[in-house]
Amino acid sequence: MTSLKDLQDSFQRGILTGDDAILGEVNDSAREKRTVLFGVYRNAYVARLAEILGEDYEQVHAYLGDAGFAKLVKSYIDANPSDQRNVRWFGRHFPAFARETAPFANHPEVAEIAALEKALTDAFDGPDATPLGIEDLASIPAEDWPHLTFEPHPTAVRLTFDTNAAAIWSALKDETAPPAPMRLPEPQAILVWRQDLMARFRPIGAEESMMWNEAGKGVRFGVLCEMVATFAGEDDAELRAATYLRGWVDTGMLAGCRVATD
Amino acid sequence: MNTSKPPYLGFGLGLRPQHYEEILNGSPAVDWFEVISENYMIPGGQPLRILDQIRERYPVVMHGVSMSIASTAPLDMDYLGALKALAERVDPKWISDHLCWTGVHGMNLHDLLPIPYTEEALDHVVDRVSQVQDFLGRRLTLENVSTYVTFGQSEMTEWEFVTEVANRADCWLLFDVNNVYVSAFNHGFSTDAFLHGVPRDRVVQFHVAGHSHEESHIIDTHDHPVCPEVWDFYRETVAHFGPVSTMIERDDNIPPLAEVVAELDIARKIAGEVSENARLAAAE
Repeated sequence: MTSLKDLQDSFQRGILTGDDAILGEVNDSAREKRTVLFGVYRNAYVARLAEILGEDYEQVHAYLGDAGFAKLVKSYIDANPSDQRNVRWFGRHFPAFARETAPFANHPEVAEIAALEKALTDAFDGPDATPLGIEDLASIPAEDWPHLTFEPHPTAVRLTFDTNAAAIWSALKDETAPPAPMRLPEPQAILVWRQDLMARFRPIGAEESMMWNEAGKGVRFGVLCEMVATFAGEDDAELRAATYLRGWVDTGMLAGCRVATD
Repeated sequence: MNTSKPPYLGFGLGLRPQHYEEILNGSPAVDWFEVISENYMIPGGQPLRILDQIRERYPVVMHGVSMSIASTAPLDMDYLGALKALAERVDPKWISDHLCWTGVHGMNLHDLLPIPYTEEALDHVVDRVSQVQDFLGRRLTLENVSTYVTFGQSEMTEWEFVTEVANRADCWLLFDVNNVYVSAFNHGFSTDAFLHGVPRDRVVQFHVAGHSHEESHIIDTHDHPVCPEVWDFYRETVAHFGPVSTMIERDDNIPPLAEVVAELDIARKIAGEVSENARLAAAE
């Protein structure tokens, strides 16, 4: 008798690779042949994962249309057998896969739309943290401000896009005609995070992007102001830095701050 | 370990995101909710916040889909740890999963795969259930699944296997009325044989659901209303087991909450009629 372990190996292989060895272990029913009955498992595997990808990457689907999306999904499922207990994370490699797989690799906006959708989903159910409030900052003595460091909200990530994928995503989300894909003159930074239980994103300028990146490394506010001054001129540098900071606090992008003493 | 029998909860629904708002803004006639454990085994955000709010108002039970209790792969302790952590947050009335396996070699097929009903599989499953129960500090509740194939090597019926698992591992059973109906049709056994073949004192929950009839076989899709034949079998099931916490399970093609609540009312009505008939019979 085939051991339980070998039987499960064979069953799984039958689903994932189409190997028919398992058919020697299962029975026809009174009404149906075993190939059809085992086929229920084969079909269900692909259908379930395709459904999950369709839910996770709704705008990629809208952008590519049914046929194009089905092709991408089929190749992804074939190349990435699920290794997750929770199907929530099955599609985590989808943006990278779209970036590297022909013919989608020739359309870089596809991978970037997918990256935006993944980041929004990750932000939606990412870790909780109480956002830093404006009152928390107001209580910091003026002399401590240069030494302030900031902690980004744990859901906040910065993406960098070479294409107008964010504009395409927004149009698709609004069910309007998306703009034609185009490569941007300069890479575009996008911040994605969760505010009040809603996943959000916002394109940001190069200067704010630089400051966000440095702040995330724990650079003090005084030094951030100097960096901003170096980046785009000393005039109003502190005001610009303070404005960016205020925007982050007002929209819940920071989870804390502290006065660095070392 | 907590070994006391879970309480009777009445008539419940599977909690689905499409219904969050209606549930929290209204007072649907639902006694309790079953949540898919994996949907809340996430870091944070709205789903867990909603779950906390639901939990404040209703009893909740946790129902998993990927414990893979019958797999020959090692138990996934990361998964079990996350399940236990969620149970500490939710304080569910019980924790259930399926009498099946979902993958080997680190893969997960996200399906409820069938077990050969052999002594070898029985020993394996009983040992795994015991380990999981020790880890969770509570008895597990196991559900019979819908199956589409049977194995040439099986040595006993499904209900004999289910009964042996429950008695030897000392766990509870979730009797899925639709799954018994589906498997009975697919494999040509009698629903009554299954019904009368499992131990009454082990059953703590019923699932009732819709399916897709493909003429030569039935697929357990949970995307249709419950069909009359399954309601008939539910009536027999309630008559046999007496009052058991009952739940409508809808996972796809999900209708507005009112429609699922209306289906739940059918279950209530049937259970009420069965109970009244039993009372009248006893009075005669």
